Amino acid sequence: MITQEIAFHAPTTTAEALELLARHGDDAKILGGGMSLVPTMNLGLARPEILISLNKVEELAYIEDRGSEIAIGGRTRHRAVLDSPLVAAACPVLAEACRHVGDVQVRNRGTVGGSVAHADPAADYLPVLVVLGATIVVRSTRGERTMPVADFLVDVMYTALEPDELLAEIRVPKTTPGTGSAYRRLARVEGSFAIVNAAAVVGPAVVRVAIGGIAAKPVLVDLTAITGGGVNAATLDAVGAVVREAVGEPYGDLNGDPEYRREMAVVFARRAIEAAAERAAG
Amino acid sequence: MEVTLRVTVNGTARTVSVDTRMLLADMLRDELRLTGTHIGCATGNCGACTVVLSGRTVKSCCVLAADVEDEEIETIEALSKSATELHPIQDAFVRNQGLQCGYCTPGMILSARALLEENPAPTEDEVRHAISGNLCRCTGYHFIVDSILDAARELRGEPAPATAGTEGEALVGHGSGPA
Repeated sequence: MITQEIAFHAPTTTAEALELLARHGDDAKILGGGMSLVPTMNLGLARPEILISLNKVEELAYIEDRGSEIAIGGRTRHRAVLDSPLVAAACPVLAEACRHVGDVQVRNRGTVGGSVAHADPAADYLPVLVVLGATIVVRSTRGERTMPVADFLVDVMYTALEPDELLAEIRVPKTTPGTGSAYRRLARVEGSFAIVNAAAVVGPAVVRVAIGGIAAKPVLVDLTAITGGGVNAATLDAVGAVVREAVGEPYGDLNGDPEYRREMAVVFARRAIEAAAERAAG
Repeated sequence: MEVTLRVTVNGTARTVSVDTRMLLADMLRDELRLTGTHIGCATGNCGACTVVLSGRTVKSCCVLAADVEDEEIETIEALSKSATELHPIQDAFVRNQGLQCGYCTPGMILSARALLEENPAPTEDEVRHAISGNLCRCTGYHFIVDSILDAARELRGEPAPATAGTEGEALVGHGSGPA
């Protein structure tokens, strides 16, 4: 149970939220959907005394068409990503990953920004954002910083966010016609955290896969050179070898030891690439 | 710290004073005496605490009460006026033995209702997907899935299929053996 006194703030604008962050900095935690934070608070693992809830900051919840990219506000609920015709048309692999985040109730409340800022090494969105080359926008009263997602993710559950910053927007490049993308994951049951996962993009001049559940952040493997002629049984074997090398020595935990994770990384990278290639062709 | 909240619960406007540490689940159970919502894990895994918050099912053990100002909350109590006037989904759970201890049941029923509101004719797979956020330790899920499919049929106004006979009677549990 939560034992520490909490000063609870429910700003209604981004500006208000940033003011509060500027004032309280490290002593405050941003509360989005709460699907990761509140359980840790209930377990006494996190004991913030100041909470800045974004649940009334509607202006941070949006999915916008920005031409070559889709812009997703940090407080957009996973549910909105699934319901979005824009995402379905322009970036379907994002919705494909989103379908696996938690469960129905978690997706109704949890936020995309919250998931990315939580930076779990096996989070469903992260390999997708890495393989697509997404950009993260963070904001504070000092201004705005923009960086590639690979730079935003620093270490296990540790990001480039300064104490006075919040994750304001995620910009995801659209999937162009002729390009296929796919997300595959290994998990014990639906609703479990992934053990390993992989997001792949296959296009006329690109074959890339990002693999999670291996290292602190997804490992990006560019396979364009070895698959030059196309993705088929022969090149997939070469892909497997390259991925095994690139993955190195994964971390191990109760859900999978390093050797298992490495073997599964190869399996799921191949599955994601195969599926992406089929979609590129079809 | 205390905050005073204005919320609508099961259609009634309420003003509730809560500590900022209080979970929505605890506010409903302890402050409003709506004990149909259960707490099984407090970590957002089991779904026994499922309620409807502004039209969407959420796990109330992971929502702070202070965060629901001006919102509408529906709990399991909203589904029936009394023990003899059950909602069709509740009725289907009774008919199909969709519960044993009953701890997961309120959450299961609210998840079922959310599914059927969006998809009146789900497949078995879609039902299982819809309740993937609700854990049950008693039933093995089979009869819960049957209950939800049966409720869907009922809500679509379709007639019940002819039963095989003995199995249905045995489930009602009068112990009288084969007919």
